[in-house]
Amino acid sequence: MSKREDTQGSCGDEFPPDYLTTPPSDDAAALGRRGFMGFVTAAMALVGAEGCRRPVEKVVPYQKLPEQVIPGVASHYATVYARRGDAVGLLVETHEGRPTKIEGNPQHPSSLGATDLLTQASILDLYDMDRSRTPKSGKKAASWADFEAALKAGKFEADQGAKLHVLLTPTNSPSVVRLRGLIKARLPKATFRAYSPIHEGNIRQGAKLAYGAVIQPVFAYDKAGVVLSLDCDFLQTEAGSVRANKGFATGRRPVVGAPMNRLYVVEPTLTTTGAAADHRVRVAATDVERVALALAAHIAALRVPLGPLGTAADKLAKLGVGDAAISEKWLKAVAKDLVNNRGRALIVAGSRQPARVHALVHALNEALGNAGQTVTFASVLDPEEADPIADIAALAKDMADGKVGTLLILGGNPVYDAPADLKFAEALAKVQVSVHLAMSEDETGERCTWQLPRAHEYEAWGDQRALDGTVSVQQPLITPLFDGRSEIEVLSLLTAGQESTGYDIVRATVRADLLAAHGLSACGAAGVDGKVDCRDVQDNKVPFRVADLDRDWKRALAEGVVRRGVPSGPRGSVRMADVAAAFEKSSTSAPVSKDSLEVVFVPCSKLFDGRHANNVWLQELPDPITKLVWDNAALVSPKTAKELGLKNGDVVKLTRGERSISVGVWLNPGQANNSVAIALGWGRKKAGRIGNGKGFDAYPLRTTDAAHVATGVKLSKEGSYDFAVTQEHASMEHRPLARETTWADFQQHSNFAELQEPTPRLLPLWTPQDYSKGNQWGLIIDLNACTGCSACTVACQAENNVAVVGKVEVARGREMTWLRIDRYYVTEEHGSLQQRTGATEEDPLVVHQPIGCVHCENAPCENVCPVNATTHSPEGLNEMAYNRCIGTRYCANNCPYKVRRFNYLNWHNDGVWAKDGNVPDVHQMQHNPNVTVRFRGVMEKCTYCVQRIQKAKIVAKRENRVIRDGEVVVACQQACPADAIVFGDLNDPQSRVARAMKDPRRYALLGEIGTKPRTTYLGKVRNPNPEIV
Amino acid sequence: MAYYEPIRELDEAPLIEPGSRLHDITEDISRVSETKAPPGWWIAFSLALCGVGLFVASVGYLFWRGIGVWGNSAPVYWAWDITNFVWWVGIGHAGTLISAVLFLFRQKWRTAINRFAEAMTIFAVICALIFPGIHVGRPWLLFYVFPIPNQMSIWPNFKSPLLWDVFAVSTYFTVSLMFWFVGLIPDIATLRDRSAGKIRRTVYGVLALGWRGSNRHWQNYERAYMILAAISTPLVLSVHSVVSFDFATSVIPGWHTTIFPPYFVAGAIFSGFAMVMTVLLIARTVFKLHRVVLMRHLELMCKVILTTGMLVGYAYGMEFFVAWYSGNEYERYVFVNRAFGPYAWAYWTMVGCNVLTPQVFWFKSMRQSIPVMFVVSILVNIGMWFERFVIIVTSLHRDFLPSSWGMFSPTVIDLTTYIGTIGVFFTLFLLFMRWLPMVAMAEVKGTMAQADPHYHEPSEHGHHAHEVHKAHGDASAPSKGLAPEGA
Repeated sequence: MSKREDTQGSCGDEFPPDYLTTPPSDDAAALGRRGFMGFVTAAMALVGAEGCRRPVEKVVPYQKLPEQVIPGVASHYATVYARRGDAVGLLVETHEGRPTKIEGNPQHPSSLGATDLLTQASILDLYDMDRSRTPKSGKKAASWADFEAALKAGKFEADQGAKLHVLLTPTNSPSVVRLRGLIKARLPKATFRAYSPIHEGNIRQGAKLAYGAVIQPVFAYDKAGVVLSLDCDFLQTEAGSVRANKGFATGRRPVVGAPMNRLYVVEPTLTTTGAAADHRVRVAATDVERVALALAAHIAALRVPLGPLGTAADKLAKLGVGDAAISEKWLKAVAKDLVNNRGRALIVAGSRQPARVHALVHALNEALGNAGQTVTFASVLDPEEADPIADIAALAKDMADGKVGTLLILGGNPVYDAPADLKFAEALAKVQVSVHLAMSEDETGERCTWQLPRAHEYEAWGDQRALDGTVSVQQPLITPLFDGRSEIEVLSLLTAGQESTGYDIVRATVRADLLAAHGLSACGAAGVDGKVDCRDVQDNKVPFRVADLDRDWKRALAEGVVRRGVPSGPRGSVRMADVAAAFEKSSTSAPVSKDSLEVVFVPCSKLFDGRHANNVWLQELPDPITKLVWDNAALVSPKTAKELGLKNGDVVKLTRGERSISVGVWLNPGQANNSVAIALGWGRKKAGRIGNGKGFDAYPLRTTDAAHVATGVKLSKEGSYDFAVTQEHASMEHRPLARETTWADFQQHSNFAELQEPTPRLLPLWTPQDYSKGNQWGLIIDLNACTGCSACTVACQAENNVAVVGKVEVARGREMTWLRIDRYYVTEEHGSLQQRTGATEEDPLVVHQPIGCVHCENAPCENVCPVNATTHSPEGLNEMAYNRCIGTRYCANNCPYKVRRFNYLNWHNDGVWAKDGNVPDVHQMQHNPNVTVRFRGVMEKCTYCVQRIQKAKIVAKRENRVIRDGEVVVACQQACPADAIVFGDLNDPQSRVARAMKDPRRYALLGEIGTKPRTTYLGKVRNPNPEIV
Repeated sequence: MAYYEPIRELDEAPLIEPGSRLHDITEDISRVSETKAPPGWWIAFSLALCGVGLFVASVGYLFWRGIGVWGNSAPVYWAWDITNFVWWVGIGHAGTLISAVLFLFRQKWRTAINRFAEAMTIFAVICALIFPGIHVGRPWLLFYVFPIPNQMSIWPNFKSPLLWDVFAVSTYFTVSLMFWFVGLIPDIATLRDRSAGKIRRTVYGVLALGWRGSNRHWQNYERAYMILAAISTPLVLSVHSVVSFDFATSVIPGWHTTIFPPYFVAGAIFSGFAMVMTVLLIARTVFKLHRVVLMRHLELMCKVILTTGMLVGYAYGMEFFVAWYSGNEYERYVFVNRAFGPYAWAYWTMVGCNVLTPQVFWFKSMRQSIPVMFVVSILVNIGMWFERFVIIVTSLHRDFLPSSWGMFSPTVIDLTTYIGTIGVFFTLFLLFMRWLPMVAMAEVKGTMAQADPHYHEPSEHGHHAHEVHKAHGDASAPSKGLAPEGA
């Protein structure tokens, strides 16, 4: 037994290792017959035993525990994620150093605790299997040192960087702007440009036209009683959608006796925002301007001072509104509503509308007194930023002219998404040294001489400014997986070498902001006494302790906010005459017709501009409106389709001049006639194994003169294509499913949802189970707040390791999403509204109904399972024991809500991954360790995030108390930017959910069949303008 | 009528070709297993074996990849798998009905077809049992459905109709097997006694369980047969009622229907008789059983098919009436959708095959036309398959929430699995026909004139002595006075 001392730590081996293998006799050679037989038999038995087991794979635990890491306990780090024109503050859940789940940061004004769809899905981009692994020079692997040497060899100082061009993306990062300044100081002739296909250029130009300066409008939807959106999808694809959702939902809580906001939307294609509208008018994108002018004329007619703009609007509006869908009555009523709600109305315009429309909107908001109330203004980070389209065009020209010696493309994918007429790829070939910093070797990368792996936002230090000017530090959550570096780290190579690491760069940038919080500015370097010399507001010299600066920095990291946004200074009045002149100068395009269609390039709500194309969750996420997966489509209105002889799945050729694209057609109710909408970002050729060749690329049709809308497009039929959708039937078939009413009716019948309940309600045959004790979990979904944005679906997928199945399997209805969002089109015939709506199948109203397992108290699934694999917990959860499930699928058949999902195949090596043979290892790093990964043949469904409930219970038990309300936040609820989902303990009378249970709008979906669901709904209240209907 | 012939009821037609001798029966039936198989048998058998191969390959692939190789989808979680299951169970029912219920009701005409029908029951139930076994997602854990004591103290869910199914169908299979085997004993003994080779004698000897044809043996045999018939009889009603509970106890509109148990039983008998007829017509032609299987038998079966077909038709109509009368919107929609929705073709195929086709049997000429019978029996089999398809798929594909509506389309594997089980069925059946007496010789003999105690061989016939000797030489010949009719 002396050996045991040697194996210290291998606690308690029962026998020394050689006990079994040593024959009893000391002398092995003297093995007798019996001994021999015994030995051989034992050996044979062991051989057999070995064959029964999988090979042992030893996992070595931490030898030394890293500081602050407790195995099994997740930590949350504050960081920030850059989104279009905005940055969303986050708390990222990290398991043993592995970020797994994105959650909103309640401290951050652009998050307020919630996130949007793309931010939720961004975690998977981090674990993208097709990310670049190493710097490459040409096709050869190289190192960062090689690149640095190559960059030095460029000797930019010689000509002050005259041949150095840098292409950035429009940025929110103060560090990028600061570094740019440092580089410009060193290399004054270097050229910096910024391009992104989806950008805020028109908004900036609009503000400049109206106010003479680029300032950022910040909208307070919560304060707005009447909102008019002119082609602005502020709830989904425009900048600041999280805060917009939150604000809009806040102004829309129906309470008897209190007013509720009203939303008018004028848009060419049905968007999430349009779907939430009380009144929606579909007009071609090019006609939105005319509607805006006509409205301005009507508003001016109501004695709102618009000065020269009013006259111009009146004159121009007389030219007529292109589409007959919009009536004078409508315009008059909307104008009246806006004027009656002076100071609490809000007009917003979409970023694809020209600058003059934005300027007109500013003029109207000012004239109506909304500015300062529902619209405030923030300064922009970089007022010098030019229009991205002009920038990229200039760069392409410089490249074609051979003026570019070295081109650094830091982010972006211009070969794929630059306007087609610039022939960017051809111009790029003329550049001697082209460097592309990107997450993967994409269309641009493969044409550059250097490809550099870019660190994901969650791997690198950075800083981001939110829409309202709030600055946050982007904290890395994991060391770069694939030797990537961030944009600022690469930029710093061009500086004189002040700071080289991302950390130093960001700290240096943020220092000014941290000191500004103390009213200090113009600070010098730290002195030997550990103090910094600064100047206060009165320009007095004030020393500031470095230790305090460190403390502030730590706090900023922990909170996720360095400095809150401050409103911009005085903005002056709108230059009405300039705006009017802009309109008078503009040429009005010819009205659309079936022979001269317009094509609207829409930011994809899933892939955005194409950057998320390799994200398998987003590929498989149903589009919030069309419910298409794995594809985009040319959306046409049913009427246009009929005129052109099109049906779903036809492939058409869209031709504009010499450019054309082939694209599959999908009939989209609510689409403006003769207007075709195509989401950008699809049809990638080098996105990666997931995104390659999915959908249809619209960029080849997009040119500098038609960056947002292309007019005069001709259509011809070409072939056919198979689309996959998750919802094939859009009508509620007169069934009281998503129940709704109008605000006027709600005043009289606040229990309208209950009144729509079919009779008779089935009574239970047996004494109901007693659920009056302990925690009883319940969830309430407010249909009035839900906009269908789908952030919850992705959040659920990330939290619960929900598998993806691929397009073919989705077409068979085998998608695995635990939380789906049913989207119904409501027409006058098929609706529960007590009022005439004028909604038709061509132009329906929309209602979204998120639904996961509703956890019935009388669950039909439970009593049909032959093996007791799905049972009820004492806390009212309908639970799945995956280990027990044999997969009869009887439960799913008997589920009236059809929320159960069956693993028809092993989705981890079949379906999407069939070609690779398995889910990529790096992809598996995203999995939540607290949730079982399900094997084939097993049923699964929403668990109410039981792992989160358990976590809260453990904490509460250790602290010897009951679980507090709000302690268990389920993933969908956490993500929801509209606070449409409330979860909690029904037995706690103070809980939010228990209070929501008493809401008169509450009803149980299919309650009449006696299932007693724990997830119930609050009915939707529409607020139509009585003067319009 | 001569004084020495048994007294018959008025108009009672003979059940065996008049003039047949007991020995003729023995010869006709035993000959099949004693002579070389006809070429027709070999052709059929090789085709059936191909089916088995297809089945093994399909199920192998199914086990390798998962249920997803079938077309089952969401919301149609059950499709061909359960359709085939119910179809096969239903087919089995005719066997038990013919052998047990008709036995208790003293329907002597059953003797010509009962062995056949029972064998069909066994093989159909085997095919049926395959489906619940292979349609689960994790077939290697199928034993969870059995109440096996285990260390985790988890029992199956006794509230689940699927579990009732497990018990009902397995009980049914066991009882049917016993019933069939008990009935076979005297006939196997006959084969044993006629055996020439040693292997044959040993195998049949073991299977005959030492049958000697003694009075005591006959007594015990008759009693056991009667008891098993009595046990089987309620099973005819219960098994398909329990199968129907899979649907009837659910909440799904189109399934949640109280009419299902009798409707399913009627349908089962209907489809079973059709299948017996299909197989019998083939066997009668191939093995030349015209002496035993008379046109009268076939005509009676046609009448049963006509009756049960109309019962089923009534159920179809009643479902619609109740759906309308209930006022339940979901229920109404399901039935309108069945008849006029995307699966209307399946519904009208079902109605055409099951309700309209059997109507030809109102005409005697049709009831006596072998081709017509054959075609009708095949059509009824098709119709009954579609009935189950319609019930399962059209109810599931559009239930409560229109957002979840979807379509079902089968895959090649669905088809090969189904064809494979038909191959399994016919392989077993052909083996049975080849090696076991496919007509219950002893029982048939009991219905012959010779079995009557008052029977007297006409003296002018000249074969009396020989005949009596022969009759006593057959171990399976019922001793006089103990014939099944108990005269």
